[in-house]
Amino acid sequence: MEKIIEIKNLTKLYGNGRGIKDINLDIFQGDIFGFLGPNGAGKTTAMKIMTGLIRPECGDVTIFGHSVTEEYELAMEKVGCLIETAESYSYLSAFDNLKQLARYYPDVDHKRIDEVLELTGMIKYKHEKPKKFSLGMKQRLGLAAAVLSRPKVVILDEPLNGLDVEGMIAIRKLIQHLAEQEQTTFFISSHLIHDVELTCTRIGVIYDGKMLNVESTPNILKNYATLENYFVSEVERNGRVSSCAS
Amino acid sequence: MAVFQAALVNEIEKLYKKKKALVAVLLALAVIVIGQLAIVGVRSGFGLRGAGSVEFPMLVLSVVVNTILPLFTALVAIDSFSGEFSQNSMRITLTRPVSRFKIFTAKITAIALFILAMLFLLLFFSMLAGFIFNTNSATWVSVFQTVFSYIVSLLPMLVLALGVVLLANTFKNGISVFFVAILLFIGLKVLGVLFSQYSSLFMTTQLDWYNLFLINSFPLGKIIRQFLIMLGSCIMLFTAGFYLFDKKEF
Repeated sequence: MEKIIEIKNLTKLYGNGRGIKDINLDIFQGDIFGFLGPNGAGKTTAMKIMTGLIRPECGDVTIFGHSVTEEYELAMEKVGCLIETAESYSYLSAFDNLKQLARYYPDVDHKRIDEVLELTGMIKYKHEKPKKFSLGMKQRLGLAAAVLSRPKVVILDEPLNGLDVEGMIAIRKLIQHLAEQEQTTFFISSHLIHDVELTCTRIGVIYDGKMLNVESTPNILKNYATLENYFVSEVERNGRVSSCAS
Repeated sequence: MAVFQAALVNEIEKLYKKKKALVAVLLALAVIVIGQLAIVGVRSGFGLRGAGSVEFPMLVLSVVVNTILPLFTALVAIDSFSGEFSQNSMRITLTRPVSRFKIFTAKITAIALFILAMLFLLLFFSMLAGFIFNTNSATWVSVFQTVFSYIVSLLPMLVLALGVVLLANTFKNGISVFFVAILLFIGLKVLGVLFSQYSSLFMTTQLDWYNLFLINSFPLGKIIRQFLIMLGSCIMLFTAGFYLFDKKEF
Protein backbone atom coordinates (compact mmCIF):
# COMPACT_ATOMS: atom_id res chain seq x y z
CA MET A 1 0.00 0.00 0.00
CA GLU A 2 1.13 3.54 -0.73
CA LYS A 3 2.71 5.42 2.17
CA ILE A 4 0.81 8.68 2.57
CA ILE A 5 2.21 10.19 5.77
CA GLU A 6 5.72 9.50 7.02
CA ILE A 7 6.77 10.78 10.43
CA LYS A 8 10.50 10.48 11.06
CA ASN A 9 12.33 11.08 14.36
CA LEU A 10 9.88 13.82 15.27
CA THR A 11 10.88 15.69 18.42
CA LYS A 12 9.46 18.80 20.04
CA LEU A 13 9.94 19.55 23.71
CA TYR A 14 8.39 22.49 25.55
CA GLY A 15 9.90 24.37 28.48
CA ASN A 16 7.89 22.26 30.96
CA GLY A 17 9.52 19.08 29.66
CA ARG A 18 6.36 17.85 27.90
CA GLY A 19 6.11 17.33 24.17
CA ILE A 20 7.08 14.49 21.84
CA LYS A 21 10.32 12.55 21.59
CA ASP A 22 11.63 10.74 18.54
CA ILE A 23 8.31 9.68 17.04
CA ASN A 24 8.36 7.45 13.96
CA LEU A 25 5.14 6.52 12.23
CA ASP A 26 3.89 5.55 8.76
CA ILE A 27 0.31 5.99 7.61
CA PHE A 28 -0.87 4.17 4.50
CA GLN A 29 -3.55 4.92 1.94
CA GLY A 30 -7.06 4.15 3.15
CA ASP A 31 -5.99 3.89 6.80
CA ILE A 32 -8.29 5.27 9.44
CA PHE A 33 -5.58 5.75 12.01
CA GLY A 34 -6.59 6.27 15.63
CA PHE A 35 -4.08 8.21 17.68
CA LEU A 36 -4.63 7.44 21.34
CA GLY A 37 -2.95 8.74 24.45
CA PRO A 38 -3.70 10.25 27.86
CA ASN A 39 -3.99 14.03 28.32
CA GLY A 40 -0.66 15.77 27.74
CA ALA A 41 0.84 12.73 26.00
CA GLY A 42 1.71 14.78 22.90
CA LYS A 43 -1.13 13.98 20.48
CA THR A 44 -1.99 17.59 19.65
CA THR A 45 1.70 18.58 19.45
CA ALA A 46 2.29 15.85 16.85
CA MET A 47 -0.80 16.90 14.90
CA LYS A 48 0.16 20.57 15.03
CA ILE A 49 3.57 19.74 13.58
CA MET A 50 1.88 17.63 10.88
CA THR A 51 -0.21 20.62 9.85
CA GLY A 52 2.60 23.20 10.08
CA LEU A 53 1.20 25.09 13.06
CA ILE A 54 4.40 24.51 15.01
CA ARG A 55 7.90 23.54 13.94
CA PRO A 56 9.70 20.44 15.18
CA GLU A 57 13.06 20.65 16.97
CA CYS A 58 14.24 17.79 14.81
CA GLY A 59 12.76 15.21 12.48
CA ASP A 60 10.19 15.84 9.78
CA VAL A 61 6.77 14.91 8.46
CA THR A 62 6.24 14.18 4.79
CA ILE A 63 2.80 14.00 3.23
CA PHE A 64 2.64 12.53 -0.28
CA GLY A 65 6.45 12.77 -0.27
CA HIS A 66 6.51 16.50 0.43
CA SER A 67 8.09 17.82 3.61
CA VAL A 68 5.76 19.89 5.79
CA THR A 69 8.66 22.10 6.90
CA GLU A 70 10.23 22.57 3.46
CA GLU A 71 7.38 22.34 0.90
CA TYR A 72 4.36 23.35 2.92
CA GLU A 73 2.03 24.29 0.04
CA LEU A 74 2.64 21.01 -1.80
CA ALA A 75 2.40 18.93 1.38
CA MET A 76 -0.94 20.52 2.36
CA GLU A 77 -2.46 20.51 -1.13
CA LYS A 78 -4.52 17.36 -0.50
CA VAL A 79 -4.91 17.68 3.26
CA GLY A 80 -7.94 18.74 5.28
CA CYS A 81 -7.69 19.19 9.02
CA LEU A 82 -9.38 20.15 12.24
CA ILE A 83 -6.96 20.86 15.10
CA GLU A 84 -8.04 21.24 18.75
CA THR A 85 -11.16 23.36 18.35
CA ALA A 86 -13.10 24.19 15.21
CA GLU A 87 -12.27 27.83 14.50
CA SER A 88 -14.37 30.12 12.34
CA TYR A 89 -14.74 33.84 11.72
CA SER A 90 -17.61 34.93 13.95
CA TYR A 91 -18.55 37.89 11.71
CA LEU A 92 -18.95 35.76 8.54
CA SER A 93 -21.84 33.38 7.83
CA ALA A 94 -21.23 29.62 7.72
CA PHE A 95 -21.32 29.81 3.91
CA ASP A 96 -18.89 32.77 3.78
CA ASN A 97 -16.55 30.99 6.17
CA LEU A 98 -16.33 28.05 3.77
CA LYS A 99 -16.12 30.39 0.78
CA GLN A 100 -12.96 31.88 2.32
CA LEU A 101 -11.37 28.42 2.31
CA ALA A 102 -12.77 27.46 -1.10
CA ARG A 103 -10.69 30.21 -2.75
CA TYR A 104 -7.54 28.16 -2.15
CA TYR A 105 -8.88 25.26 -4.23
CA PRO A 106 -9.75 25.82 -7.89
CA ASP A 107 -12.13 22.81 -7.99
CA VAL A 108 -14.29 23.91 -5.06
CA ASP A 109 -17.36 25.88 -6.09
CA HIS A 110 -20.54 27.05 -4.32
CA LYS A 111 -22.21 23.71 -5.12
CA ARG A 112 -19.48 21.86 -3.20
CA ILE A 113 -19.89 24.24 -0.24
CA ASP A 114 -23.62 23.41 -0.12
CA GLU A 115 -22.75 19.72 -0.44
CA VAL A 116 -20.46 19.68 2.63
CA LEU A 117 -22.94 21.78 4.61
CA GLU A 118 -25.58 19.16 3.74
CA LEU A 119 -23.20 16.31 4.66
CA THR A 120 -22.55 17.77 8.11
CA GLY A 121 -26.17 18.78 8.71
CA MET A 122 -25.41 22.49 8.63
CA ILE A 123 -27.30 23.49 5.48
CA LYS A 124 -30.17 25.05 7.50
CA TYR A 125 -27.70 27.37 9.20
CA LYS A 126 -25.94 28.30 5.96
CA HIS A 127 -26.55 32.04 6.33
CA GLU A 128 -26.16 32.25 10.10
CA LYS A 129 -23.03 33.53 11.80
CA PRO A 130 -21.03 31.12 14.01
CA LYS A 131 -21.16 33.47 17.02
CA LYS A 132 -24.66 32.12 17.65
CA PHE A 133 -23.65 28.46 17.11
CA SER A 134 -23.40 25.82 19.84
CA LEU A 135 -20.12 23.91 20.32
CA GLY A 136 -21.51 20.98 18.32
CA MET A 137 -22.57 23.22 15.43
CA LYS A 138 -19.13 24.86 15.35
CA GLN A 139 -17.59 21.39 15.31
CA ARG A 140 -19.80 20.38 12.37
CA LEU A 141 -18.76 23.52 10.51
CA GLY A 142 -15.11 22.67 11.26
CA LEU A 143 -15.63 19.18 9.85
CA ALA A 144 -17.30 20.65 6.76
CA ALA A 145 -14.21 22.86 6.32
CA ALA A 146 -11.91 19.83 6.74
CA VAL A 147 -13.55 17.81 3.95
CA LEU A 148 -14.42 20.78 1.70
CA SER A 149 -11.58 20.31 -0.80
CA ARG A 150 -12.18 16.53 -1.21
CA PRO A 151 -8.84 15.92 0.54
CA LYS A 152 -6.95 12.65 0.23
CA VAL A 153 -5.77 12.97 3.84
CA VAL A 154 -7.86 14.24 6.74
CA ILE A 155 -6.23 15.03 10.10
CA LEU A 156 -8.77 15.36 12.91
CA ASP A 157 -7.99 16.25 16.51
CA GLU A 158 -10.96 15.35 18.73
CA PRO A 159 -13.50 15.60 15.88
CA LEU A 160 -16.44 14.46 18.00
CA ASN A 161 -16.00 17.11 20.70
CA GLY A 162 -19.34 18.65 21.60
CA LEU A 163 -21.36 16.53 19.16
CA ASP A 164 -24.62 14.89 20.19
CA VAL A 165 -25.14 11.13 19.65
CA GLU A 166 -26.83 11.73 16.29
CA GLY A 167 -23.91 13.91 15.22
CA MET A 168 -21.34 11.35 16.35
CA ILE A 169 -23.02 8.59 14.34
CA ALA A 170 -23.30 10.84 11.28
CA ILE A 171 -19.63 11.84 11.43
CA ARG A 172 -18.52 8.24 12.01
CA LYS A 173 -20.50 7.18 8.92
CA LEU A 174 -19.03 10.05 6.93
CA ILE A 175 -15.48 9.01 7.86
CA GLN A 176 -16.13 5.37 6.95
CA HIS A 177 -17.83 6.36 3.70
CA LEU A 178 -14.92 8.60 2.61
CA ALA A 179 -12.34 5.95 3.54
CA GLU A 180 -14.16 3.18 1.66
CA GLN A 181 -15.47 5.04 -1.38
CA GLU A 182 -12.78 7.65 -1.97
CA GLN A 183 -9.80 5.94 -0.31
CA THR A 184 -9.39 8.98 1.95
CA THR A 185 -6.78 8.46 4.66
CA PHE A 186 -7.71 9.59 8.16
CA PHE A 187 -5.51 10.45 11.11
CA ILE A 188 -7.77 10.88 14.13
CA SER A 189 -7.13 11.54 17.79
CA SER A 190 -10.01 11.10 20.19
CA HIS A 191 -10.73 10.49 23.85
CA LEU A 192 -13.93 8.65 22.92
CA ILE A 193 -12.32 5.23 22.82
CA HIS A 194 -15.52 3.41 21.89
CA ASP A 195 -15.84 5.54 18.79
CA VAL A 196 -12.20 4.96 17.88
CA GLU A 197 -12.81 1.23 18.17
CA LEU A 198 -15.81 1.44 15.87
CA THR A 199 -14.17 3.75 13.31
CA CYS A 200 -10.40 3.20 13.14
CA THR A 201 -8.60 0.43 11.31
CA ARG A 202 -5.19 0.99 12.93
CA ILE A 203 -4.34 2.26 16.37
CA GLY A 204 -1.22 3.99 17.67
CA VAL A 205 -0.70 4.69 21.36
CA ILE A 206 1.39 7.63 22.50
CA TYR A 207 2.45 7.99 26.13
CA ASP A 208 4.66 10.63 27.70
CA GLY A 209 5.67 11.89 24.26
CA LYS A 210 6.79 8.47 22.98
CA MET A 211 5.08 6.13 20.54
CA LEU A 212 4.36 2.88 22.40
CA ASN A 213 2.76 0.64 19.84
CA VAL A 214 1.01 0.60 16.48
CA GLU A 215 -1.36 -2.25 15.74
CA SER A 216 -4.37 -2.97 13.56
CA THR A 217 -7.74 -2.86 15.33
CA PRO A 218 -8.72 -6.48 14.43
CA ASN A 219 -5.38 -7.71 15.85
CA ILE A 220 -5.92 -5.78 19.07
CA LEU A 221 -9.45 -7.13 19.43
CA LYS A 222 -8.13 -10.69 19.02
CA ASN A 223 -6.16 -10.34 22.25
CA TYR A 224 -8.27 -7.87 24.20
CA ALA A 225 -12.01 -7.70 24.81
CA THR A 226 -12.15 -4.00 24.03
CA LEU A 227 -9.87 -1.26 22.80
CA GLU A 228 -10.20 0.34 26.21
CA ASN A 229 -8.60 -2.75 27.83
CA TYR A 230 -5.75 -2.61 25.32
CA PHE A 231 -5.21 1.10 25.89
CA VAL A 232 -5.25 0.79 29.70
CA SER A 233 -2.88 -2.17 29.56
CA GLU A 234 -0.43 -0.35 27.25
CA VAL A 235 -0.47 2.82 29.34
CA GLU A 236 -0.19 0.96 32.64
CA ARG A 237 2.64 -1.22 31.37
CA ASN A 238 4.54 1.83 30.23
CA GLY A 239 3.72 3.72 33.41
CA ARG A 240 5.14 0.82 35.47
CA VAL A 241 8.27 0.72 33.33
CA SER A 242 8.76 4.48 33.72
CA SER A 243 8.22 4.38 37.50
CA CYS A 244 10.57 1.37 37.86
CA ALA A 245 13.20 3.16 35.82
CA SER A 246 12.94 6.27 37.97
CA MET B 1 0.22 33.79 -7.67
CA ALA B 2 -3.32 32.34 -7.60
CA VAL B 3 -2.79 31.32 -3.96
CA PHE B 4 -1.61 34.84 -3.06
CA GLN B 5 -4.64 36.31 -4.86
CA ALA B 6 -6.94 34.03 -2.89
CA ALA B 7 -5.26 35.07 0.37
CA LEU B 8 -5.54 38.75 -0.58
CA VAL B 9 -9.23 38.50 -1.56
CA ASN B 10 -9.89 36.74 1.76
CA GLU B 11 -8.13 39.49 3.72
CA ILE B 12 -10.02 42.22 1.88
CA GLU B 13 -13.33 40.41 2.47
CA LYS B 14 -12.58 40.09 6.20
CA LEU B 15 -11.67 43.78 6.41
CA TYR B 16 -14.80 44.81 4.52
CA LYS B 17 -17.16 42.66 6.61
CA LYS B 18 -15.81 43.89 9.94
CA LYS B 19 -17.48 46.88 11.55
CA LYS B 20 -14.13 48.63 12.19
CA ALA B 21 -13.64 49.52 8.53
CA LEU B 22 -17.13 51.04 8.39
CA VAL B 23 -16.52 53.05 11.58
CA ALA B 24 -13.25 54.34 10.08
CA VAL B 25 -15.09 55.50 6.95
CA LEU B 26 -17.85 57.19 8.97
CA LEU B 27 -15.33 58.93 11.24
CA ALA B 28 -13.35 60.13 8.22
CA LEU B 29 -16.54 61.61 6.76
CA ALA B 30 -17.36 63.19 10.13
CA VAL B 31 -13.97 64.96 10.10
CA ILE B 32 -14.84 66.48 6.72
CA VAL B 33 -18.31 67.56 7.83
CA ILE B 34 -17.03 69.08 11.11
CA GLY B 35 -14.13 70.77 9.33
CA GLN B 36 -16.40 72.24 6.70
CA LEU B 37 -18.91 73.46 9.30
CA ALA B 38 -16.06 75.10 11.24
CA ILE B 39 -14.87 76.92 8.10
CA VAL B 40 -18.37 78.07 7.19
CA GLY B 41 -18.84 79.22 10.81
CA VAL B 42 -15.54 81.17 10.81
CA ARG B 43 -16.42 82.76 7.47
CA SER B 44 -19.95 83.86 8.34
CA GLY B 45 -19.22 84.65 12.02
CA PHE B 46 -15.91 86.49 11.75
CA GLY B 47 -15.80 87.34 8.08
CA LEU B 48 -12.53 85.45 7.65
CA ARG B 49 -11.75 83.49 4.50
CA GLY B 50 -10.99 80.10 6.13
CA ALA B 51 -9.98 77.81 3.29
CA GLY B 52 -10.40 77.87 -0.49
CA SER B 53 -11.76 75.05 -2.66
CA VAL B 54 -8.46 73.14 -3.01
CA GLU B 55 -7.05 74.35 0.29
CA PHE B 56 -9.76 72.54 2.21
CA PRO B 57 -8.63 69.00 1.14
CA MET B 58 -5.06 69.94 2.20
CA LEU B 59 -6.36 71.15 5.55
CA VAL B 60 -8.22 67.85 5.99
CA LEU B 61 -5.09 65.88 5.03
CA SER B 62 -2.90 67.76 7.51
CA VAL B 63 -5.38 66.88 10.29
CA VAL B 64 -6.18 63.24 9.46
CA VAL B 65 -2.62 62.21 8.64
CA ASN B 66 -1.61 62.94 12.24
CA THR B 67 -4.79 61.77 13.97
CA ILE B 68 -7.49 59.39 12.74
CA LEU B 69 -5.57 57.82 9.86
CA PRO B 70 -2.69 56.50 12.06
CA LEU B 71 -5.26 55.48 14.66
CA PHE B 72 -7.36 53.40 12.27
CA THR B 73 -4.31 52.04 10.48
CA ALA B 74 -3.06 50.81 13.87
CA LEU B 75 -6.47 49.34 14.76
CA VAL B 76 -6.80 47.51 11.44
CA ALA B 77 -3.20 46.19 11.65
CA ILE B 78 -3.69 45.03 15.25
CA ASP B 79 -6.99 43.39 14.37
CA SER B 80 -5.48 41.63 11.39
CA PHE B 81 -2.70 40.07 13.49
CA SER B 82 -3.28 40.21 17.28
CA GLY B 83 -7.05 39.79 16.82
CA GLU B 84 -6.60 36.59 14.85
CA PHE B 85 -3.86 35.33 17.20
CA SER B 86 -6.08 35.72 20.27
CA GLN B 87 -9.18 34.17 18.65
CA ASN B 88 -7.09 31.35 17.16
CA SER B 89 -8.68 32.14 13.80
CA MET B 90 -5.20 32.46 12.26
CA ARG B 91 -5.22 28.64 12.22
CA ILE B 92 -8.05 28.68 9.65
CA THR B 93 -5.73 30.14 7.02
CA LEU B 94 -2.48 28.60 8.25
CA THR B 95 -3.70 25.02 7.77
CA ARG B 96 -4.51 25.62 4.08
CA PRO B 97 -2.06 25.14 1.19
CA VAL B 98 -0.65 28.64 1.46
CA SER B 99 2.76 29.62 2.80
CA ARG B 100 3.17 31.96 5.77
CA PHE B 101 5.01 34.44 3.55
CA LYS B 102 2.00 34.71 1.24
CA ILE B 103 -0.39 35.10 4.18
CA PHE B 104 1.80 37.81 5.74
CA THR B 105 2.19 39.66 2.43
CA ALA B 106 -1.55 39.41 1.72
CA LYS B 107 -2.33 40.91 5.12
CA ILE B 108 0.10 43.80 4.61
CA THR B 109 -1.28 44.41 1.09
CA ALA B 110 -4.84 44.48 2.45
CA ILE B 111 -3.81 47.04 5.11
CA ALA B 112 -2.10 49.14 2.41
CA LEU B 113 -5.27 49.00 0.29
CA PHE B 114 -7.33 50.05 3.31
CA ILE B 115 -5.07 53.10 3.84
CA LEU B 116 -5.25 53.95 0.14
CA ALA B 117 -9.05 53.60 0.10
CA MET B 118 -9.32 55.86 3.16
CA LEU B 119 -7.07 58.47 1.53
CA PHE B 120 -9.09 58.42 -1.71
CA LEU B 121 -12.36 58.63 0.20
CA LEU B 122 -11.10 61.62 2.18
CA LEU B 123 -9.77 63.22 -0.99
CA PHE B 124 -13.03 62.76 -2.86
CA PHE B 125 -15.34 64.06 -0.14
CA SER B 126 -13.06 66.91 0.97
CA MET B 127 -12.73 68.06 -2.63
CA LEU B 128 -16.48 67.82 -3.09
CA ALA B 129 -17.07 69.83 0.09
CA GLY B 130 -14.35 72.30 -0.94
CA PHE B 131 -15.89 72.94 -4.34
CA ILE B 132 -19.46 73.19 -3.04
CA PHE B 133 -18.91 75.43 -0.02
CA ASN B 134 -15.71 77.34 -0.79
CA THR B 135 -16.12 79.13 -4.09
CA ASN B 136 -12.53 80.26 -4.65
CA SER B 137 -11.26 79.34 -8.08
CA ALA B 138 -8.87 76.41 -8.33
CA THR B 139 -6.18 75.78 -10.92
CA TRP B 140 -5.40 72.38 -12.45
CA VAL B 141 -1.93 72.54 -10.90
CA SER B 142 -3.33 72.95 -7.41
CA VAL B 143 -5.81 70.09 -7.98
CA PHE B 144 -2.96 67.88 -9.18
CA GLN B 145 -0.83 68.86 -6.16
CA THR B 146 -3.70 67.96 -3.83
CA VAL B 147 -4.26 64.55 -5.44
CA PHE B 148 -0.51 63.87 -5.41
CA SER B 149 -0.21 64.87 -1.73
CA TYR B 150 -2.89 62.34 -0.81
CA ILE B 151 -1.26 59.57 -2.86
CA VAL B 152 2.27 60.08 -1.44
CA SER B 153 0.86 60.02 2.11
CA LEU B 154 0.40 56.27 1.63
CA LEU B 155 4.14 55.62 2.08
CA PRO B 156 4.60 57.01 5.64
CA MET B 157 1.31 55.39 6.68
CA LEU B 158 2.64 52.07 5.38
CA VAL B 159 5.81 52.49 7.47
CA LEU B 160 3.60 53.12 10.48
CA ALA B 161 1.41 50.07 9.69
CA LEU B 162 4.49 47.84 9.36
CA GLY B 163 5.76 49.16 12.70
CA VAL B 164 2.45 48.22 14.32
CA VAL B 165 2.53 44.79 12.63
CA LEU B 166 6.00 44.22 14.12
CA LEU B 167 4.65 45.13 17.56
CA ALA B 168 1.63 42.84 17.01
CA ASN B 169 4.00 39.96 16.32
CA THR B 170 6.12 40.84 19.37
CA PHE B 171 3.47 41.27 22.07
CA LYS B 172 0.81 38.67 22.83
CA ASN B 173 -2.03 41.00 23.63
CA GLY B 174 -3.72 43.39 21.19
CA ILE B 175 -4.33 45.99 23.91
CA SER B 176 -0.63 46.00 24.83
CA VAL B 177 0.23 46.51 21.17
CA PHE B 178 -2.19 49.43 20.94
CA PHE B 179 -0.82 51.19 24.03
CA VAL B 180 2.82 50.60 23.12
CA ALA B 181 2.07 51.92 19.60
CA ILE B 182 0.43 55.07 21.03
CA LEU B 183 3.30 55.64 23.49
CA LEU B 184 5.86 55.20 20.71
CA PHE B 185 3.89 57.56 18.44
CA ILE B 186 3.80 60.27 21.14
CA GLY B 187 7.44 59.60 22.06
CA LEU B 188 8.60 59.96 18.47
CA LYS B 189 6.55 63.17 18.08
CA VAL B 190 8.28 64.64 21.17
CA LEU B 191 11.72 63.46 19.98
CA GLY B 192 11.00 65.05 16.61
CA VAL B 193 10.53 68.42 18.36
CA LEU B 194 13.46 68.04 20.79
CA PHE B 195 15.93 66.78 18.19
CA SER B 196 14.68 68.58 15.12
CA GLN B 197 18.00 68.05 13.27
CA TYR B 198 17.30 64.29 13.24
CA SER B 199 13.55 64.58 12.77
CA SER B 200 13.61 63.24 9.20
CA LEU B 201 14.55 59.84 10.64
CA PHE B 202 11.39 59.56 12.73
CA MET B 203 8.32 57.99 11.15
CA THR B 204 6.00 60.50 12.84
CA THR B 205 7.77 63.40 11.09
CA GLN B 206 7.58 61.57 7.79
CA LEU B 207 3.77 61.67 7.97
CA ASP B 208 3.97 65.29 6.78
CA TRP B 209 6.39 64.59 3.95
CA TYR B 210 3.77 65.49 1.34
CA ASN B 211 4.61 69.15 2.20
CA LEU B 212 7.94 68.69 0.38
CA PHE B 213 6.04 68.37 -2.91
CA LEU B 214 4.25 71.66 -2.35
CA ILE B 215 7.41 73.77 -2.01
CA ASN B 216 7.96 75.92 -5.11
CA SER B 217 11.74 75.20 -5.27
CA PHE B 218 10.95 71.43 -5.29
CA PRO B 219 13.73 69.98 -3.06
CA LEU B 220 14.44 66.84 -5.11
CA GLY B 221 17.44 65.75 -3.03
CA LYS B 222 15.46 65.96 0.19
CA ILE B 223 12.52 64.11 -1.37
CA ILE B 224 14.76 61.26 -2.57
CA ARG B 225 16.47 61.06 0.84
CA GLN B 226 13.14 60.90 2.67
CA PHE B 227 11.81 58.34 0.18
CA LEU B 228 14.84 56.11 0.67
CA ILE B 229 14.63 56.37 4.48
CA MET B 230 10.97 55.30 4.33
CA LEU B 231 11.68 52.53 1.82
CA GLY B 232 14.49 51.23 4.05
CA SER B 233 12.20 51.39 7.08
CA CYS B 234 9.52 49.46 5.16
CA ILE B 235 11.98 46.71 4.17
CA MET B 236 13.43 46.38 7.67
CA LEU B 237 10.05 46.40 9.44
CA PHE B 238 8.53 43.96 6.91
CA THR B 239 11.47 41.55 7.31
CA ALA B 240 11.47 41.73 11.11
CA GLY B 241 7.67 41.34 11.23
CA PHE B 242 7.71 38.36 8.90
CA TYR B 243 10.58 36.72 10.81
CA LEU B 244 8.52 36.79 14.01
CA PHE B 245 5.32 35.72 12.21
CA ASP B 246 7.12 32.77 10.60
CA LYS B 247 8.54 31.61 13.94
CA LYS B 248 5.20 31.89 15.75
CA GLU B 249 3.56 28.73 17.09
CA PHE B 250 -0.21 28.37 16.94
